[in-house]
Amino acid sequence: MNYKLNQGENTETKGTLRAAFAKILPLMFAERKNMILACIAILINSGLTLVGPIIVGHTIDTYIRTGDYNGIVVFSVILLGIYLITFGAGYIQTTVMGGVGRRVLFNLRNEIFTKLSELPLAFFNANKSGDLISRINNDTDKLNQFFAQALMQFIGNIFVIIGAGIFLLALNVKLGIGALLPALGILIVTQLISPWIERTNLKSLRTLGSMSGEIQESLANFKVIVAFNRLDYFRNKFAEVNAKNFSASISAGLANNIFTPLYGFASNLAQMIVLSYGIYLIGTGQLTVGLLISFLLYVNNFYMPLRQIASIWSTFQLALASLDRISEVLALENTMEVLPHTEEPTHAKGVLEFANVSFAYENGKEVLRHTNIVLEKGKTYALVGPTGGGKTTTASLMARLYDPTEGTVLLNGRDIRTYTPQERSQKIGFILQEPTLFRGTVRDNLVYGSTEYASATNEDLMDILQEAGLGHLLERFDQGLATPVGTSSDSMSLGQRQLVAFIRAVLRKPELLILDEATANIDTVTEQLLEEVLKKLPSTTTRVIIAHRLNTIEEADEIFFINEGGVTSAGSMDHAVEMLLHGSRTS
Amino acid sequence: MPPKTTPTLIGLLRPYRALITGLVVFAVLSNALALVIPKVIAYAIDSYTKGGFDLFTTTLEFFAIGVGILIFTYLQSVMQTYASERVARDLRNETAAKISVQDYVYIEEVTPSKLLTNLTSDADAVKTFVSQAIASIVSSLFLIVGASVLLLMINWKLGLVVLLLVPIIGVTFYTVLQRVRKLFTKAQEAVDWLNAVINESILGAALIRVVNAQDVEYKKFTDANTNSKNIGMGILRMFAILIPTITFVASLASLAVLTLGGHFVIVGSMTLGELTAFYSYLAILIFPIIIIGFMSNVIAQASASYARIAAVLNAPVKKDDGVVVAELTGLIDVKDVSVKFGEKYALKDVSFTIKPNTKTAIIGPTAAGKTQLLYILTALTKPETGTVSYDSCDIETYNKQSLHSQVGFVFQDSIIFNLTVRENIAFSTTVTDKDLEKAIETAELHDFVDTLQDGLDTVVSERGSSLSGGQKQRIMLARALALNPKVLLLDDFTARVDQKTEQKIVKNLEANYPDMTLVSVTQKIAPIENYDQIIVLMEGEVLAVGTHAQLLKTSPEYVQIYESQKSTSHYELQA
Repeated sequence: MNYKLNQGENTETKGTLRAAFAKILPLMFAERKNMILACIAILINSGLTLVGPIIVGHTIDTYIRTGDYNGIVVFSVILLGIYLITFGAGYIQTTVMGGVGRRVLFNLRNEIFTKLSELPLAFFNANKSGDLISRINNDTDKLNQFFAQALMQFIGNIFVIIGAGIFLLALNVKLGIGALLPALGILIVTQLISPWIERTNLKSLRTLGSMSGEIQESLANFKVIVAFNRLDYFRNKFAEVNAKNFSASISAGLANNIFTPLYGFASNLAQMIVLSYGIYLIGTGQLTVGLLISFLLYVNNFYMPLRQIASIWSTFQLALASLDRISEVLALENTMEVLPHTEEPTHAKGVLEFANVSFAYENGKEVLRHTNIVLEKGKTYALVGPTGGGKTTTASLMARLYDPTEGTVLLNGRDIRTYTPQERSQKIGFILQEPTLFRGTVRDNLVYGSTEYASATNEDLMDILQEAGLGHLLERFDQGLATPVGTSSDSMSLGQRQLVAFIRAVLRKPELLILDEATANIDTVTEQLLEEVLKKLPSTTTRVIIAHRLNTIEEADEIFFINEGGVTSAGSMDHAVEMLLHGSRTS
Repeated sequence: MPPKTTPTLIGLLRPYRALITGLVVFAVLSNALALVIPKVIAYAIDSYTKGGFDLFTTTLEFFAIGVGILIFTYLQSVMQTYASERVARDLRNETAAKISVQDYVYIEEVTPSKLLTNLTSDADAVKTFVSQAIASIVSSLFLIVGASVLLLMINWKLGLVVLLLVPIIGVTFYTVLQRVRKLFTKAQEAVDWLNAVINESILGAALIRVVNAQDVEYKKFTDANTNSKNIGMGILRMFAILIPTITFVASLASLAVLTLGGHFVIVGSMTLGELTAFYSYLAILIFPIIIIGFMSNVIAQASASYARIAAVLNAPVKKDDGVVVAELTGLIDVKDVSVKFGEKYALKDVSFTIKPNTKTAIIGPTAAGKTQLLYILTALTKPETGTVSYDSCDIETYNKQSLHSQVGFVFQDSIIFNLTVRENIAFSTTVTDKDLEKAIETAELHDFVDTLQDGLDTVVSERGSSLSGGQKQRIMLARALALNPKVLLLDDFTARVDQKTEQKIVKNLEANYPDMTLVSVTQKIAPIENYDQIIVLMEGEVLAVGTHAQLLKTSPEYVQIYESQKSTSHYELQA
């Protein structure tokens, strides 16, 4: 599966109202009970709001024009009652409908996050992390604005519009049609220009994404920018993306702002038609003055919400564009499913086995070609080879961060794909080349993701660490377990971060422990301590070590030389050194 | 920017006077025309009931007004789009320009993520202010005043009764909104936290999968998400009371018009047309009050955002008052340098001298302060006490540009820009093609470049995930070498480069850059045994300085490190 997002420009969707609802409605399916309740409240609310003008018109015609003040009072009281009920219905409408919006947003966010945690590593490698973050954050924010605020207005207004439309037609068909004609015109115009508006918005969102990606990259690498006198790099690069964002935003802004004037015009046009045509109808005896006034009020009732919808239409369009971009993520499937486990293996060739494994990256770069390796229980293996030769990729295949393009990886004789992620992570420990630490303390990072140690007290944890021979390593941190870990990479040295990652992995006592240059930036004295820790691991633990420094692989039982798609057993240490020193990289 | 006065949004808008004036004028014009419409309707109804009604003239008038409103509102929206986008663009550029003249210490202090917020969502909040608030408030105020005056002019008694309700709506709105605003701040914090969790889970994707910590992340996320939802519900409850209340009060006003107005019509002090106009003006009157309430919120957010941006804009720039522009020989004196992180010394009274055209290694355990020392040697950070001097001139007196162009720094962590390989290496603008070629050759990148589809012009990715650790390191080396530096600082360069390549690079360095002074932070003793000087650094203190042979005799710590590597050293001595 190709995990690269956003590459084609063909995300154009139909900007019709129907298509929009087709996208929004399924999200609200689970809320249908509340939706019905809200709709009833909305019906009462808008229905009564609409009855108001009729009563006003009636009062004017029958009482004011005849001078019957008692009648006016009676109908005023009726109106007051109606307004009170409207008040209650309005409250229910807002609470229930708003709640629906909030919960839909909540679920949508959950869905996105679940998807993010399901997708394999290849997805994160295929996309710029800055872009990804912007996509998730900005787009959910746009949806937030829509679901938290606009949705309620949207639905309420639609009811009022429909109601007012019905009243207009019911009071007088001819005049009603006249009053609705401008609305028809405006709807057609909207349908026509919606795709264009959605397109400009999508483009503007994209430039926003690339802008924040640019800022993030530049700020994170500020020290290089300073050290190489390239402060202008940040400034210029930023000015460039900013200018792009500016022109995209201008087009989007101009497009979004076209609605308000048009809808206002339609509303005025409708009033004009009602007034002129209405007076003509009165002249021919088909209408009364009171009804004309009611009509003018209904025109307002019809067009005012229409204008409101127009003003939130851009929010709606933005939300749709965001929903599109998010759907793109949600539509991705994890190609690394857990396969059903069928039969027990008859013979397990070692702990881990590569059976005819080939692997190539999405971009076609081939890393392994029909490789066969067997790792036996309790032994130590070293992977050596030139930079870029494929050592890390091989290790990643062992931990199922990727699936081979061909062949199988077997863990204890069973296809590694049949293990659940939890089983797998219990059996395999992987210390990554770039240590990842999370905000919190050293302790938080050590017990990260572990169900076993999460509840242990600091004292208990210290005991466990001591027992594993890891206790004294904590002396490298000035406040021990409580040493704070920040997000900035400079708050803790690379060596220290590697140390935390090391302890984190060893603490879990994995069957297979992979160290990917895990100690590259740790001094050799500390490294010796680590080696002792490794030696003290249970005799059943298999170790896979990737390193450039030869002393770290001295103890290896077997050395694999990885280069140019091939894995060759190097046999002895001397031979490995020979291969490293003289083995050519291209031959 | 006026000096030392509190930055206001109004001050920010001063340079955009023309656009803003246009915006305001068009907003007023379109609304003024809108206020005429009920008058036209009233006149039409009255003249019809009285006789002498001219259908054609009325229709024409009405149509002309409609077209006028259409034109004016569209012009207003064009103005506001340009004004708001320009304000945002210029503000962003100004902020970025300001950030770019700050030093490294400042960026680390303020933190990149905060600056990112300043440049994105804060700038957006100011933009929203310009695009929505200005026109809305001007229009609303104009409509409120205009409609009120017209109401009073038609019938001042009825007008007064109706206008009495305006303050009620206003006060209710203001009170509730004060409360809501607090919730809004909380809601924003909740969203920030939510985003932080998402960021971590994206950046830490590999580790999360390795230790199967999806559940932990999911828990963090749902907590944040639930919190955000709950605050949202709180806001919702406020609005659920607010909106129906306003509608109700507005309804009361229309009830008053009917009851009292009906009475006035019956007694003849008001015409039916006027009553209709009253209804229309009432509809015009209510909406702007609500708009102003909402906009006060937009203004508050924009002010807060702008204050944050202004803090960045007004932050003092540490002036580069260095004037010395001289060719370095490579003589470096470090004297009593100390750096503290909180209570703990990262470096303590560090002193040593590096002679020109020599090779110096700094060796020591993790967290010994080695990287900090290199940062100080490049003036990226300043020591708390002590001095660093090049050729007996204090580092502070050097022009930073001139210094940085002569001191090449290969950072420990790989930093690859989303540019072509060529641009990544020739990152400094002064690099010539010859320098570039020499750097590539020295860093042993030829073979690698040949494998790339577009050679040097291949774009490499942001987090550099398409490159191996060693390739990234070598690009970083070439980047520093391309400067043709007098002094080269290597931070643990060999950690990720394989032995064979490393040895080739060392030879290349000697051949291609014979006059360069080399300072290398490293973990490995073997490659530095023949260095002119080795400095043993531990817990921020210099324990010993000398050649390999001297240190073996004098420094027990050095011997300890040496012993820990000795067993394999015979391999590394080969070739």
